[in-house]
This record gives sequence, C-alpha cells and structure tokens, in this order.
Amino acid sequence: MTAVSTLLMLGILATLGFVLGRRRALASVQGDSRRLHSLPHYYGWAVAIWTVLPASVLFLAWQTVAPLGNAGGFAVLALALGGLVWAWLRSSATFRARNAVERAVMGLLILASSIAIATTAGIVLSMLFETRNFFSQYDWTRFFFSTTWSPRFQGDSDLGFLPLLWGTLYISFIALLFAVPTGLFAAIYLSEYAGPRLRAIAKPLIEVLAGIPTIVYGLFALITVGPLLRDYFAQPLGLGNSGSSVMTAGLVMGIMLIPFVSSLSDDIISQVPQSLRDGSLGLGATKSETIRQVVLPAALPGIVGAVLLAASRAIGETMIVVLGAGAAAKLDLNPFEAMTTITVKIVGQLTGDTDFAAPETLVAFALGLTLFAFTLCLNVLALIIVRKYREQYE
Amino acid sequence: MTTETTKMTARSVQVFYGDNHAIKDVDVDILDNTVTAFIGPSGCGKSTFLRCLNRMNDTIDICRVQGEILMQGENIYDPRVDPVQLRAKVGMVFQKPNPFPKSIYDNVAYGPKIHGLTRSKAELDEVVEKSLRRAALWAEVKDRLHAPGTGLSGGQQQRLCIARAIATNPEVLLMDEPCSALDPIATAQVEELIDELRTQFAVVIVTHSMQQAARVSQRTAFFHLGNLVEYGETGQIFTTPRDPRTESYITGRIG
Amino acid sequence: MSLLAQDTRTKRRNAAERRFRRYGLTAIGISLAALVMLLTSVFSSGLGAFRQTFIHIPITLTESALDKSGTRDPDVMHKVTTIGYARVINAALAQAIADNGIVIDGLTDDDIADTISKEAPAQVRDAVLANPDLVGQTVSFSILANGRVDGYLKGRVSLESAAIDTKISTRQLALADAMQDKGLMSRDFNWAFITAADASDQRPEAAGLGVAILGSLYMMLVVLCLALPLGVAASIYLEEFAPKNRWTDLIEVNIANLAAVPSIVFGILGLAIFINFAGLPQSAPIVGGLVLTLMTLPTIIIATRASLKAVPNSIRDAALGVGASKMQAVFHHVLPLAAPGILTGAILGLAQALGETAPLLLIGMVAFVREYPGAPPEGFFDPASALPVQIYNWTQRADPAFVERASGAIIVLLVFLLVLNATAILLRRRFERRW
Repeated sequence: MTAVSTLLMLGILATLGFVLGRRRALASVQGDSRRLHSLPHYYGWAVAIWTVLPASVLFLAWQTVAPLGNAGGFAVLALALGGLVWAWLRSSATFRARNAVERAVMGLLILASSIAIATTAGIVLSMLFETRNFFSQYDWTRFFFSTTWSPRFQGDSDLGFLPLLWGTLYISFIALLFAVPTGLFAAIYLSEYAGPRLRAIAKPLIEVLAGIPTIVYGLFALITVGPLLRDYFAQPLGLGNSGSSVMTAGLVMGIMLIPFVSSLSDDIISQVPQSLRDGSLGLGATKSETIRQVVLPAALPGIVGAVLLAASRAIGETMIVVLGAGAAAKLDLNPFEAMTTITVKIVGQLTGDTDFAAPETLVAFALGLTLFAFTLCLNVLALIIVRKYREQYE
Repeated sequence: MTTETTKMTARSVQVFYGDNHAIKDVDVDILDNTVTAFIGPSGCGKSTFLRCLNRMNDTIDICRVQGEILMQGENIYDPRVDPVQLRAKVGMVFQKPNPFPKSIYDNVAYGPKIHGLTRSKAELDEVVEKSLRRAALWAEVKDRLHAPGTGLSGGQQQRLCIARAIATNPEVLLMDEPCSALDPIATAQVEELIDELRTQFAVVIVTHSMQQAARVSQRTAFFHLGNLVEYGETGQIFTTPRDPRTESYITGRIG
Repeated sequence: MSLLAQDTRTKRRNAAERRFRRYGLTAIGISLAALVMLLTSVFSSGLGAFRQTFIHIPITLTESALDKSGTRDPDVMHKVTTIGYARVINAALAQAIADNGIVIDGLTDDDIADTISKEAPAQVRDAVLANPDLVGQTVSFSILANGRVDGYLKGRVSLESAAIDTKISTRQLALADAMQDKGLMSRDFNWAFITAADASDQRPEAAGLGVAILGSLYMMLVVLCLALPLGVAASIYLEEFAPKNRWTDLIEVNIANLAAVPSIVFGILGLAIFINFAGLPQSAPIVGGLVLTLMTLPTIIIATRASLKAVPNSIRDAALGVGASKMQAVFHHVLPLAAPGILTGAILGLAQALGETAPLLLIGMVAFVREYPGAPPEGFFDPASALPVQIYNWTQRADPAFVERASGAIIVLLVFLLVLNATAILLRRRFERRW
C-alpha cells in the first residue's frame, strides 16, 4: 500500500467519521440539537480528528523509520478505525465536543508556531553534526587561522577561513559604504523635504529595487557593472583587468541594500516625535540643522540597528558575489582584484559531485555554521537595539 | 511698572488651512514687558495665531497667511525675511515639554551655538548658566549639567525648555499652553517664572485656563471661531467684558 | 538689526541648508539611476531572446533515408537517429540555396550545413514521428538557425568578430544576408523560449524555460499549500492565544531572526535534512518547495500578525459578548476581517520565494534537466529546474548567446514578479479598511 493511497483512505475514513459522529450525537437527543452541549458539527469534527490524528502520527513515525509497506499501511488504517470507533461511542449529548475540538485545534496552532524553533534547531543541529565531522578530519586551528584556501581533489587541502572572511568583510564594507549614506540621505529627503508628488513617485520606485531578486543583481554585476569598472577604472589605473572584483560585487550589493537602508531609516526617522523638530525650528534652527543635530542623534540607535541588519544581509548575500566577486581566495587590499566570500565557497563546495566524507565538502558546513553564528549575533544585536529604540518613543 | 512700547503689531491677519479659514482678520498689538494671554475655546485659532508670530506655520505645507505682522516696523512675512533669523528673536515654548535627547547643558547651548552668539566656551558656559538661572532651574541642575535633559521631571523639563528658548536672547517669548502637561505645583512654579520673565521680554501665552490668564497676564485677547472678539486689559476683560460672547465664555456658558 | 537683511552667518547657514538638500536629491538620483541602469541592462540584452532566427525551406522527406521499411510504423522509424535527419535537412538547404541562385565564393557544403542549428534534426524528427505520413512528401519547415547566425541577425556577431571566430566564418554571414534577402531566413517570435526545455552548451538557440517555469510553479504550489496555513496558524496562536512567557518569547526571537538568516543557510538545511537525512530526491520541486516554505514562513507570519493586530478589540469583545468561545471569535470574526492583509502578505512571500536562488543551488536544482516533470503529485518528486536557477545556470555557460537567454529569462521572472506584486497592491487597495 503506497503512502498516497493510505492518505487517501485516511481521508475517506475521516469523512465517514464526521458523518457518523454527527449522526450519533443527533440520534442521542432524538434530533433535537438544542439539547446537545455543542453544535452538531463539532461532534462530527471530534470523531474526524480522533480518526486522523493518532493515525497520522503513526504514519509519519513509520515513514521516517522505513518506507510504508503493506504492514505499515494496514497498521495506520487500523489505528484510524480504532480512533473512529472510540470517538464515535463517546458522541452523546453530555460530551463537550466543542471544547475537545478546540483543544485539538489549539494543539495544531501551537505546533505550527513551534516550527520556527524547529527550523532554527534543524539549522544548528544539522550544521553542528557535519561540522564536528569536519573538525575530526581537519584541525580547527588551521581552519580558523590559516591564510590559504586551496582545496585539492587528492586530499591534503588547505582550508583556511581567513581569506574568505576577508573577502566577505571587504565586499560588505564597500556595499555599506555606498548604501548607508545613499539610503539614509534618500530617506531623509523623502521624509523631511520632498513634496507629496516626488514622494509618491520616488518612494515606490526605490522600493522596486528591494523586490528585484538577487540573481538579477548578480547578472547586472556580471554583464554591466563588472566590464564597466574594468574598462573605465581598473585598467586605466593599472589596478588589474578582472571584471569580477570586490568593487563590482560591493557596488551592486550596495544598490541592493539602498532600499533596505532607506525604508528602515524612514520608519525610524518618522518615529522621532514632531515636538522635537518643532522645538528646534522654534529656536531658529534651519531644517538641516534640526535634522543633523536633533533628529539624527535621536534616531541614532535605530539607524545603527538598521545598519547592522544591512550588514547581516551583506555578509549572507550569495548570488551577487557568486556572479560578481570571483572565486579566488585572496588576502589583498586592491578593490579591483577578484576575491571570494564565505557564501561563494559554500556554493562551490556543495554543488556538483560531492562526497560527504571528504573534508573539502564538509568544510562548507563549518563555513555555514560560522556564517549563521555571525549573522545571528548581528541580527539579535540589531533587534535588541531597534526594540529599545521603539520603546523609547512609545 | 510697564513701559508700554509696542513690540509686534498684527494687522488684518488671515490664516487658511487648505480651504479652512482659520483666522479671520485679526489685529493685535503685543506690548513689551507685558504678558499677553490668548484665551478662547479649543479650536478658536489662538494657537494658530501664536504660531504666526514666529512663522512656525511655515512648517505646515497647507497653511497660508495673509495680512501683515510688523516687528519694529518690518513685516515678518516680507519675502526677504529669513524665518531662521526671525525665530532667534521670537522664541517659542511648546505645550508638551520637548527637551532634546541631549544633556541639559547641550539643550540650553543649542540655540546660542546654531546662531553663533558666543565666541568661546567660557562665554557659552556663562550664557547657559544665566539662562538656567533666569529659568529658575540653576539650583536644581547645576550639579548634573551633563545628565540627559529627558531625565528631569515634567516641570523641570518645561523650565529647561524655557531656558533653552531664552538662551538666544529673544525679544518676544511665545508660550503655547506651557502648563497643560504639568501638575499644579509645577504649574505654579512656571507661572511664577513667567511673571519674572516679563521684566525682560514681551511674553505671549496661549492658555486654556481662564484662571491662569487672570493670574499671569496683563492683557488678554479672547478668540472665538477664528475671530478676535475682544482685546484689552486683563482686569477689564474678566470683570466687564464688552462682548456678550466673551461674557458667555468667562461665565462658562461656551467653551 | 533689520530682519530684512540676512547677516553673513545666516547666509552661510542657508547655503549649508541648500547643500544638505542637494545631498538628499543626489541620493535619490543615484538610487533611481541605478534602477534605470539595471532595467536597461537587462532589457537591452534580454529582449532578443524573445525573437529567434528561423530558416524557412521545403524539405523533401525521402523514404529511403527516413523509413526504409516503408511501413510508416513509428516504432520502426525510431531507429533513424538525428544524424539521418541532418543529412536530409542539409541536402534540402543546399538545394534551396541553389534554387534561389545564391552564390558565395568559397562556401563549402559544411559551411552551409553549419548555419543550421544542431537542434533542427531533432525538430524535424519529432514532427515526422508524430505524423509518419509526411514521409515521402516535400514539406515546408521553419527550422532553427545556428546561434551564431542568430547572433549576427541580432547584431551580437559582426563581420569583425566572425573573422576571429572558429565557429562561424564571414562567408556564412554573407550567406545569411543573402538568405534573408530571398526570404529564406527571418526572425520570428520565439515561443520555444518560454515553452521548450533547456538545451546543451552547443545549442543556445534551442534553450528554453519550459522546465524551469514548471519547476518554479510546482515549488510555488508547495509553498502556498504549506506556508500559508502554517503561517496563519502560527500567527493566530502568537497573536491571539499565546501567554506571555519564555517559550513564546523564544518563538518571537526565532521568527525575527529567521527573517534575517542568509538564504543560503536554508539551502544547507535542506541539503542536510531533506536530502541527506530524509532521503528525498535531489533537484525535486518538493525539496525546493519545503526549503522555500521555511524561508517565507517568517515573512508570512510577520504580515499576518500585523493584519490580525489591526483588527480592533471591539470586534473580539462583541463576539465574546454574545457567548462565542475565544476560538470561535477568532475564526468567525477576526480571521475573515484580517484575510485581505494575510493574502497580501502571502503573495509578497511568494514573490520573495520565486526569486530566491542560493538555497536551490545547494539542493541540486542547478542540474541540467531536459525532461518535463510529471503531473502532480508524483511530479513534485521529479527532477526539475527553477527560473532563477536556470538564469544562474545560463550565466555559467561559455557561449555568449546564453547571456541573452539569461537576460531574457530575467524578463520573464520580472514579469511574474510584477504580476504578483500588482495583485498584492490591488488587493490592498480594494480591501484596505480603516478602523
């Protein structure tokens, strides 16, 4: 019996249970539904839930251990039938069907909300497990402190983390250097100066940038920005002739982050109370003095939070660096040189033919865990700062 | 006791919020060394008119002002006038205390700094101290000038805002219901302060409370539905109002 | 001092004010310029993918070459490979060139044959196997031209570049010009780009998005069926029922953090849990859908909670006041009122999932897939590609013709996103409610 047909049978049994339960409850009061504790359909639901719930738990348990054979299928259906009969027998006027159904629904709601925790646990556990495997084959001090990254097929690879970290931070730094002032100034102008017409046009247009998938930015880096920077900056300045470079990836990532920074800053700036602006303007400050000396300092914690979130985005961004930064792990200062990042190497080591016993593959999990830990710290820090800031003005 | 010179003169001032005619043809003289109170039921336009006196209404997009308001013979709505310079001369204190999230010192020093009124740190220190003294706050904060201004109590915050406003050495001080967010004790302190400030500035105060107007002001203007109904000596307004609307308001029948 | 004259300090301050405004305007200008550049770049290099060069010639489908048995039995005719068809086509093209009186110095038979796409024999073979009675007749076909020839007609390949290109010669380009003059060659709308499967490195002209679009569609179905109910259930619990305790605090922090976890980490999760641990197949839309579900859940939860929060308490009080249970109040009154907001959030989550690439690379969706996945539910387990991954895949190919394909695929992707976002905006406009 296949999984699909078992589930189909389960569905049929549940429907049957619903009809039978409802009928029995009504019969117990000679069809006078006012004498029932709950509305008739709750009795039907109660039986249906008792039919499906235990059976599907068994189904899932069986499926994870071994594929559901005939034995499993019959076991599941037998349990479903048992649940149906038991619940059916209880369907009488005194049974509090609504409360029972609501308890079951509540259980499902709690289960659904716990998925977030399960996801995080899944992420951490799966990566921890493989990372442990990696460190049992590869010395952790070499991973964290070696300055060379050169995986080799025949083994004995150098898997030093530092060049990847450097590339990641360098690119993120350039991205933020571009995105933070641009996004912040755009937000300031739109919220404090722009007339309704400009705001109605420019704001949604900037938000369009946020809706564009990163693969599009990646292609933009690859076919437009990269060659442009190479032909007009890197080559004339004698700084190299690679289209993929820290600068390419950084700039394009910066463009991607503009709407992120500007919409977060916009929210934060608009939370600064108008009374502070009035106070400053009333003393004869100009608008820009008010913004620079009163609004921005008041909004600073929130803006710092926004920048941290943007940094977390930049560090974890993958497609732009895969297509724009290059694959060479290097420790270099020249921004027109191709470098690589943690995310690029995760993609590199985990796509194509992979051997999950080799350190060259397993290193990706160590990289992933480091990346996760990094962004987790940034996110939590940013969330705390932003939350504190919100409370201040609520 | 008063020299009775005219500081500001408003002539046929009209204010529109979009299509709404908020102030209709108002003429007022603001006298120096005098507390002038604007009273009236809420929505009568008294705050709007107050905000015309230092062009704070400029910050509201849909607001239009017609007529003229003269200060020392110059129309403050003349296109050549920079509201920034005007507001240094006509300071303002708001309904809710709004200290900047900076230290007490920086709050008071803010105005002198942006207008470049002092040449040295010592001079600035002096201005800050003088302003805080005039605002009757110095004794309470002199030991914690670098603590945040937002940490003070409500009444202290409002006196800090007053100190901040007088630090630029204005000629006129506008106060928009300065005591409405304060408890009775703090209100009494601020009222006392207003009476002292009168010796140096022309003070204009918008108030909801007739008792307060009677206590602190020498002249009172009664606004109703955007019209200036009656303007005169405070004593006269409260004892022998000429207009029946003023009388109704004072006796509590409207408002 | 007069108010009418600005003192020097005020002048300086006003200059600073103007400068500050200019910075703001510049920032907006930069953002908009970047948007324009991005779109121009994509559209200018991608629009070409929607037009394709075809060669229109009559082909004599000789029985001796294509069906020696003479039975017209497709099973027997299967034995003739594309090589057999290639010969027929090459002969037909040479004939058509001669018939039209096109003469070009130094043009060899191989040169002529090479202007045809390597996909063309398969094209003709499929047509013949579908209708064996065509054998023996002379039938007009529109077959694909080679990618380089297509590039020449689109301006990507020039006489100069052909001179140093081993894959195309200037003679062949001259032939292309002549064929165009005689109406043997033209550019037509390229339906195959949207419906056909991917093609190998040597035949960019035949590469299409069919499998990728279908794969993306399947994944979106999975996401919609899982993320929406799960997200709504979780939001209802957190917003309406959850007590304020450590467990719910932990959930809150988790959701906020998951919304900002790099997408590639979800790919690692999918690889480790769904593929290596649970044993689900690689490249399958079900795995992609599951990964994207986990990724979009936070987005949907945040949007749903916002719209639940926007329903005023008076509604809940009213329901409880007539004796409804808390659960009934939520499901009968609050949830329907919040539905438009929830739907909007779900659509935006879907749009985010549709464009996501990185996690899909790790679960094997980057593989070269030529077979369309089957019908659901089994089709969810068949290998498939996805739109953004197909784009990435094409950027990794050597032939520059694939850049045009990748950009064209982006246009398709952007159109889908535009439709999704426009739907969300319309929904919001239509049902926006102010309490």
